[in-house]
Amino acid sequence: MASHAATADDALYTEVAGQRLLGFLFFLISDCVIFGSFIFVYLYIRNASPVWPPAGVERPGLYLAAVNSIVLFGSGATMHYAMEAIRRANVRRFTAFTVATIILGCMFLSGQAYEYTHLHDTWAGSTFGASFFTLTGMHGFHVFIGVIFLITVLVQTLRGTYTPMRHFGLTAATLYWHFVDVIWVALFFLFYVY
Amino acid sequence: MSVADLGHVRTGHIHPPPDTFVKKYVFSLDHKVIGVQYFITSGLFFVLAGLLAELMRAQLTGPNNHVLSVATYNEAFSVHGSAMVWLVTIPVLTGAFGNLIMPLQIGARDVAFPWLNMVSFWMFPPAGILLFGSFLFGAPQAGWTEYPPISLQMPFGTSMWCMAIFLIGVSSTITGINFLVTIVKMRAPGMTWTRMPLFVWATGVTAFLSFIATANLSAALAGLFIERTFGVPFYDPAKGGSPVLWQHVFWFYSHPAVYIMILPAFGIVSEVLPTFCRRPIFGYKAIAYSSVSIGLLSFMVWAHHMFTSGLQHWEQFAFMALTMLIAIPTGIKIFSWLATMWGAKIHLCSPLLFVLGFLSTFTFGGITGVLLASVPVDIHEHATYFVVAHLHYVLFGGSMFGIFAGLYYWWPKMTGRLLDERLAKLHFWLMFISFNATFLPMHWIGLHGMPRRVATYDPIYASTNLFVSISAFVLGLSFLIFAYNALRSAKQGEVAGPNPWGGRTLEWMISSPAPYYNFDEIPIVLSGPYDYGKPLPYANIKPELATVPTH
Amino acid sequence: MASDGESKRLKDDQGHYLDAGFWRAVWVMAVISVVLMAVVVAYPIDPWFLPEASTTSVDIDKLFKFSMFFSVPILVFVNGFLIYFAIRYRRRPEDPDSAIGSQIHDHRALETWWTVVPAVLMVTLAVLSYFVIPEYYPTGQAAASAVTMEAIGHKFYYEFRYPGLRNSVMNDAHLPIGVPVTMDITSLESSQDVNNEAVIHSFWVPEFRIKQDMVPGMVVPLHFTPRETGTFRIVCTEFCGLGHSHMWGKVIVDSRSDFDKWYADQKRSEQAEAKGVQPISLAPGDAGAGQTTFNAKCVACHKAAPFEQKLVGPGLGNLFHDPSHPNLVTGKPATPANVADIIEHGAHGDMGTMPPMQVNGLSQKDVANLVAYLQTLHK
Repeated sequence: MASHAATADDALYTEVAGQRLLGFLFFLISDCVIFGSFIFVYLYIRNASPVWPPAGVERPGLYLAAVNSIVLFGSGATMHYAMEAIRRANVRRFTAFTVATIILGCMFLSGQAYEYTHLHDTWAGSTFGASFFTLTGMHGFHVFIGVIFLITVLVQTLRGTYTPMRHFGLTAATLYWHFVDVIWVALFFLFYVY
Repeated sequence: MSVADLGHVRTGHIHPPPDTFVKKYVFSLDHKVIGVQYFITSGLFFVLAGLLAELMRAQLTGPNNHVLSVATYNEAFSVHGSAMVWLVTIPVLTGAFGNLIMPLQIGARDVAFPWLNMVSFWMFPPAGILLFGSFLFGAPQAGWTEYPPISLQMPFGTSMWCMAIFLIGVSSTITGINFLVTIVKMRAPGMTWTRMPLFVWATGVTAFLSFIATANLSAALAGLFIERTFGVPFYDPAKGGSPVLWQHVFWFYSHPAVYIMILPAFGIVSEVLPTFCRRPIFGYKAIAYSSVSIGLLSFMVWAHHMFTSGLQHWEQFAFMALTMLIAIPTGIKIFSWLATMWGAKIHLCSPLLFVLGFLSTFTFGGITGVLLASVPVDIHEHATYFVVAHLHYVLFGGSMFGIFAGLYYWWPKMTGRLLDERLAKLHFWLMFISFNATFLPMHWIGLHGMPRRVATYDPIYASTNLFVSISAFVLGLSFLIFAYNALRSAKQGEVAGPNPWGGRTLEWMISSPAPYYNFDEIPIVLSGPYDYGKPLPYANIKPELATVPTH
Repeated sequence: MASDGESKRLKDDQGHYLDAGFWRAVWVMAVISVVLMAVVVAYPIDPWFLPEASTTSVDIDKLFKFSMFFSVPILVFVNGFLIYFAIRYRRRPEDPDSAIGSQIHDHRALETWWTVVPAVLMVTLAVLSYFVIPEYYPTGQAAASAVTMEAIGHKFYYEFRYPGLRNSVMNDAHLPIGVPVTMDITSLESSQDVNNEAVIHSFWVPEFRIKQDMVPGMVVPLHFTPRETGTFRIVCTEFCGLGHSHMWGKVIVDSRSDFDKWYADQKRSEQAEAKGVQPISLAPGDAGAGQTTFNAKCVACHKAAPFEQKLVGPGLGNLFHDPSHPNLVTGKPATPANVADIIEHGAHGDMGTMPPMQVNGLSQKDVANLVAYLQTLHK
């Protein structure tokens, strides 16, 4: 599909990018619904259960999660600066910030992996574990996809695919990364605070 | 939109013309070919699911029959329901009609994402194979709703059901996104929102429902699948889960799904009526906006399927009241359609006949829907044959009659040839009469105490059930007339020409079947589509095609 | 929207469509509607529907009748206009190809009416329904005066627990007429669900017009007062497995004195049981009578055919002579006493659950006859 962009004129690129952006937004909304559905499941079971968390289940620690959240939100900030840089056609700055975002994303994933392996509760072990592992696992998978997405656009940028006028792929990657951040706010509140 | 903008000619999406058979007919990017692919595939599944229905009616010809074993009977009704909803009605109304007609009606050369469109189609046949293949591994038995805990206790076939519906769900989400972007972004210059054909309005709202509600279905199915496979507790009461929770998440999808299955049919009705009445549709905006309000309301009524599941009283009352609200926009549509016939110049051709059948049966189904919305009355009628009758009145009497109206209407645009009118009328009358004979008596036995999803019944219902079964066999036969007519048209069908019915929407302004790029030049739209009696509101249309001849 | 000249033309247009033929058609439809509405109001409901055997059913039927009452004119007018317009305004052979119909796009008054009238009807129906809901879901006061009992759904029978009775009553619930009952509805307790067979059932007595799903892990109280004596069916409406089609119970509404007598009998048999249970005597079993019982009851789930020919349970034709299945589902050898034990107390296996003899309405004599009959089979 990228070949369209390379061959057609800028007006066409803008038109097509507009369509893709709208489509991508709709995709993010439907992704939101999937998370929302599982969050509803979690709140429903929590509400129906006499004690919460269920007897014998310990909530995961707040400390690690808080550090992890800061890492993820930090990556949101670096992503933002990376996007600002490409708007000014500063590829070096963009590269630096994107690499930082990728590293922070990987740190978040390692933090999550550490948390998973040190929890007593399991996926099938309790109704808390069921929602916790499903939702954070889904989120972790999104972060993983996001990292791959970022690596891809980084390589594309270094190859010169994007220009200050034509960078739909970058816009999508940024949107996606911020979306993943926002989802994490909800999950952090639900599982560690509320 | 200014005049200068109107002059802007879009090049649209360019994908090279296919040069091989595979690219042309199998992995085609052309929305029209994909639409036909949906038709053929769903048609095949329709035959299979229909045969299951006939087997069920054979079992129910008398009490304590052993045509099918109890387990096979349960599998039959579960797969029949699932297939009719997900493999027939939804793909035909969105995938087939949406693909085939919507881009033509908005003056586009294709949908926004042709490649995704192809991918989304190719998720559909594997889903069907998974669903029907589940018979080899113990097909699902708990109905198309698959309520846990019983669906957690069934063999592997139920997991296949989850996978199949999940695939369909993803496919339908992608199609929804694709269509909505197409409608928002790719309308021909000058086609403002209120100049869009009503089928496009309906498809747009349906697309919105598809990608919101269906995403939720995917989540619910994923939950059921991982609970079945890994024992993760969501719905199993023995492990602290809640069976009623599934009902909430399932119906949060499946009530909007009811409108995914009926809104495009509404759209077809709104296209066929002005064409064959030779007059502008009555209350264009009322019909368009009522589609939108039905779409929004449909997210707020899901728990009316759960009045006997132990809801709180305030929940029961709230869902009852919201459900009754839907009757109002639906009523507006039906009355506006009727008013369109008032003072018309009616050409009583086969598409219009099916629309008239639709109006009659759907109104009946709508009224029984109101009866079911009232909580106390629903308490009695819930999960009985009354509900079976009601849902077939809206899904068969509504969606199916709408689908056939659309098929007869757009067949010439699809194939370039007309179907035989006399056979079509025979098909209609046989289908209309046997449909009512099949499903009308079901209200009666339901009220009298016959529950749904049973392989046998109290002998007091024997004579009614025998009558219903015989009618159902006739109903099955009526489709053979259509099949024959369709095959016959390929060789002997009259060549249709660009506009056999005298329609005024853009798909009739190009040759039949539509050429590869639909429009050589993107047309410019100057006013609404249904103004019979005024000049055609299009510029940039080939003059030799831009006529409204009558047939 | 339209210029003055055009709107005047549209006015004339409208007048043109309200001609004598139109009003004639409206009159015909109105008369048909009124006749049908009168039928809905006047016609006694019993021949159309089931007897109204609970106090709630009377009010629910009133709601149903009210809905029918306003639905009838809607159906008559929609279908009537459909037919009338299709005939009256069809294209005549003499019409030119270019002939077109009316140019009326909108009509504010008409559209307002058909929005407001359904809205008023819906609000009325909602309000009326609102007042009926508390009749079957007990509020504080109604519940206080009522007798509370439990109904539990099993695969595939109903268990009833009465206050003061130690043993449950299977499938056939006895209730006294005129006494308010609050029935706590649930399914097999999930904590007891060792065999993974807690499923959703439903408790429906069509003559009472009430229904409640029996959801595992949930107890929902249902409130009603029987107002007619007789035997009424309980039907399961929520799909629960292979035996769903046959999951029928009975509510037997007795006069007060009959009910007291039945209750006393139950008490007495409990006391007798406490003193020691007599094993069923198999000696006087009559194979002929057993065959009759088998064909009346057991065939719902079993065939008199080899083991492999399953319905809900296995075929029983070879029960005592099957070398590949020497043991019964209980793990005990296939002896007459062990078979009688299963028929009496029920059993559980991988195909499902066989209920105890009370559920099937069998007497001790029936059990003896059945064992005698099964011994004669050899296929």
